[in-house]
Amino acid sequence: MIWSLALWPVAAGLALWMLSRGSRRRLTALGLAAMGVTLLLSLVVAATGDTSSMAWSPALTLRFGLSAMTAAVAVLVPLVGLCVILFAGVHEAERGLARLLGLLLIFTGAMELVVIANDLVSLLVGWELMGAISWALIGHRWREAQATPSATYAFVATRAGDLGLFVALFACFAGAGSVDYAALTGLDGPYLALAAFGVLVAAAAKAGQGPFAPWLFRAMDGPTSVSAFLHSSTMVAAGAFLVARLQPSFAHVPGFGGAAMALGLATSLAGGIVALRQDHAKKVLAGSTSAQLGLMFAAVGAGWPGLAILHMIAHAAFKAPLFFAAGLAHERAGTFDLRRMRLGLALPVTGALAVPPALALAGAPPLGGAWTKEEIVTALGHASPWLAAAAIAAGGLSAAYATRFALLAFWPGEADETSRSNWRALAALGTLSFVTVILSGIWLPGPHDGVARLFEIALPSPGPWIERIGTLCALALGVLVGIYLARHPRAGERRDWLGLADLIDNGVIAPFLAAARLSARLDDYVIDGLGSGSRGRGLLAAFVVAARAAATGAARAGEAAMDLIPTGTGRLLGMAGADLRRTQTGLSHHYYVFLVAGVALGGVVLILGAR
Amino acid sequence: MLTLCILVPLLGALALAAIPSIRESTARTIAIAVTAVPLLLLLVVWAGFAPGAGFQSVAEARWIPSLGIAWRVGVDGMSLSLSLLTGVVFLAAVAWPMADLPRARAYYAWFAFLYAVSLGLFVTLDLILFYVFFDLSLVGMYFLIGRWGHGEAQAAALKFFVYTLAGSLLILIGIIALALSMPEITFDMRAIIAAAPLAAAGLPAALVLLGLFVGFGIKTPLFPVHTWLPPAHVNAPGPVSAILAGVLLKMGTYGLVRLALQMMPQTFVDWALPLGVVAVISILWGAIVALGQDDLKRRIAYTSVNHMGYAVLGIAVAGSAMGTQAARDIALTGAVVEMIAHGLITGALFLIAGAIWQRHQDYDMAAYGGLAGVAPRLTGATTLAAFASLGLPGLAGFVAELHIFLGAFAVYPWLAAIGLLGILITAALFLQLLGRVFFGALPAARTGFADLTRIELGILAGLLGLVVLIGVWPIWLLEMIGTAPVAVAGG
Repeated sequence: MIWSLALWPVAAGLALWMLSRGSRRRLTALGLAAMGVTLLLSLVVAATGDTSSMAWSPALTLRFGLSAMTAAVAVLVPLVGLCVILFAGVHEAERGLARLLGLLLIFTGAMELVVIANDLVSLLVGWELMGAISWALIGHRWREAQATPSATYAFVATRAGDLGLFVALFACFAGAGSVDYAALTGLDGPYLALAAFGVLVAAAAKAGQGPFAPWLFRAMDGPTSVSAFLHSSTMVAAGAFLVARLQPSFAHVPGFGGAAMALGLATSLAGGIVALRQDHAKKVLAGSTSAQLGLMFAAVGAGWPGLAILHMIAHAAFKAPLFFAAGLAHERAGTFDLRRMRLGLALPVTGALAVPPALALAGAPPLGGAWTKEEIVTALGHASPWLAAAAIAAGGLSAAYATRFALLAFWPGEADETSRSNWRALAALGTLSFVTVILSGIWLPGPHDGVARLFEIALPSPGPWIERIGTLCALALGVLVGIYLARHPRAGERRDWLGLADLIDNGVIAPFLAAARLSARLDDYVIDGLGSGSRGRGLLAAFVVAARAAATGAARAGEAAMDLIPTGTGRLLGMAGADLRRTQTGLSHHYYVFLVAGVALGGVVLILGAR
Repeated sequence: MLTLCILVPLLGALALAAIPSIRESTARTIAIAVTAVPLLLLLVVWAGFAPGAGFQSVAEARWIPSLGIAWRVGVDGMSLSLSLLTGVVFLAAVAWPMADLPRARAYYAWFAFLYAVSLGLFVTLDLILFYVFFDLSLVGMYFLIGRWGHGEAQAAALKFFVYTLAGSLLILIGIIALALSMPEITFDMRAIIAAAPLAAAGLPAALVLLGLFVGFGIKTPLFPVHTWLPPAHVNAPGPVSAILAGVLLKMGTYGLVRLALQMMPQTFVDWALPLGVVAVISILWGAIVALGQDDLKRRIAYTSVNHMGYAVLGIAVAGSAMGTQAARDIALTGAVVEMIAHGLITGALFLIAGAIWQRHQDYDMAAYGGLAGVAPRLTGATTLAAFASLGLPGLAGFVAELHIFLGAFAVYPWLAAIGLLGILITAALFLQLLGRVFFGALPAARTGFADLTRIELGILAGLLGLVVLIGVWPIWLLEMIGTAPVAVAGG
């Protein structure tokens, strides 16, 4: 039963992609129906607490199951997925729509596999499958020159991190003889450390943390609906989900918590600055995703994985509609350049619906995202006031970039003809916007204690009042900065990710490709060196020359080999027969000398070996 | 039964060669029939096969009793799975439609001949027969490349032939040494495996083992004796390349397990680490050099060096005396799965390369682009095969690499960690290949590019269907392979 949660969307997605022809409306309806069934399945599985296992190889058993906390994510994914399909059905180009919707469904299945996995192999299968489908999704508009290179960049970047997950898996198996999550708790010493940091690296890659951040920008070459799904409840969010899911096993690994907090907070601050300097609407949101995921990593590092999941849920509800809004703005403005938008009069409904998510991103009370962020600040404050201060600063940055984004995109600009967006796209945006508003209720003690009990997570005790004051000051300051920057847009292009993207391009990728070309030449000219038609200068050619000298010079060795030469050459002639004449080339003598050398070498071995 | 598997295609080859009145379409039908029959026979053998119970379906006929040579056939889990692979890949290659094929009768005759000797190599239990089949496979491949290849086909074929023959001579010496060291001279593999005759021979045993390493290493091929492979592939027709990569390379790794590992386990222990190091160098070098290629087929060819490096790493781990028995078993199982997976995946990739050549006689990736628009079926098949080759979970390559590295990490953690970088580079090189050939803008010269025909698509679907099946639900294959091969190898 539980595995159907992963299998059904994959099967339905494949069917939709391969079999469906028809109008936008029909495809969207089919996609919604399939995603709706997934949602139902997730609710049933969450309610029944079904578990399952599958003998996959003699040594490895795959296990699936949900905890209260992971069940919440299992339901969240298809819930956001419904809105994404609805939006994609009207917003994306009709050409290839069946493929796009099908891939979105398969992608959902891969994410659900990550959520229900109870062992590292199932996790790795879902994890990498998600990466592969993200490649296809980001490269969806493959006719555009940038699409496939960007998709490849994203896949290779995340796979570099996946190596960490491979290492964690191997360490777990080597240390415990099993790949179950349960076996992780039995590890100790270097195996446990390898597992913990391997998982952290893999999660950081998917979540766009630290050096892995630039792939999120490249992924912006994909369709907007894909970005919305990737950044809210799948792929990128999966990074935070994974560290939160496995944190209990790694809580006592020296340096794990500290590394997660340092990585998260550093990314949160850097991502905030990056988002603040961007003029590309989707890249602002991409930078903000890195920053928000950074807060989740910090929460996990501080020992509060439940808070990370709560922030992830709130983030999913407000990030997806912001992407929808950016997509609709692009439809109208024809560009993602924020400096050329100001669509408040042109898209009044879109603008209005984007306000609650933007406020939630800013961390403005009473929206739910503000509460989860505040709890993370409190949790970090219990570890150290400096960490809380860093999180407050990151919160201030989020207020600044959210304000700037909202104002540039949807502040009333020149009086322009109002255009009406498709109601279905607005419904997708409105639904999640509404959910964002509903989540405000979590500020009340009744609801948040209830949620904590339902998801079986702990909440930190209230921190000192100065943290609250600090947050409010940072919020106010951030909004003012955002307003200032929105009023004073700057011309010119910015380097992506403060130059980190260029550094990776010029410092890693280009040298490696050059090394590959050099290796290819070495292989042709040095290791082989026989070439085709040249005299040959490489190792093999040198061997041929040396063998010729040995064969002519060393008479005794030659005599020893004599017994075998007739055999060898006789066989050669016998087999080749008349056809051999066709193969006479100017280089044949090289080969024959080589053959003789092999025989001579063999003779020595025979003499020594078979006494 | 197994004897029949060899005789049927051999007779088919003779008939095709001897009867001049056979037309091309008839020749193809005959070749498909004599390829399919042994495959069916092998399925029957599989149905009665008990995993882990040693050599089965054994048949013996006296031949030269004074030297201990006899016609001996039989299969264990490893050779049965490789024989089945041989059947599947040959069926795909023979059935692959070849437009404007010159001397079709001879082409199919050589294919049937090569099929018979390839099957013979995997099912024989006599070392002399093993050697004969090993060399005869070179002959078949030599003519298939030389006569039906393109470009510098004859030079490439000769290079392949002489290079590999030099290696096979070292193997012959090893075989003779092993047989002579037996208390009573015999070439019976089962007896030699049971006796491990050179166990206490010191330096001579080491020399024999190194001879086997070099001989099989050339065939596999391992760095640095791999340079015959790219020209052979580039100049061979697609189906011939598929056989070369899908079946012939497996003979090298099969020999490493059967002769080096199983017959000389005590000596192997001392040389497992160096072999593992060479394997890791092959993994990385194959991948890096592949990334540096602009020629589609050379790029795929070098990934063979990479993938066979994984298999050899698994074998090296299995032959080490370190780690747990469970870890060594899992590595060897992984190595055999890698052979199967690589056979299916790379077989499919070379057939695809052949399809592209048949249409536009060009392997330069820069000459293509945007084929997804005109050839969606070809794009889909290539994408699936490429992801399988880069080890995507849910596909066969992942099962193999996962098992190899699981075992390797418990035995040689540093080697495993370095080798793991290979899967990152293969990801980059395959995705770059897909991007260059299939996506982006379509060059004007390629607007008429024809998509796969139904037959081509059906053949690729068969191969890739197996890749998906093994990837999603591998336990049937893993149980067939079993862990019997290592039971004798534990150091």
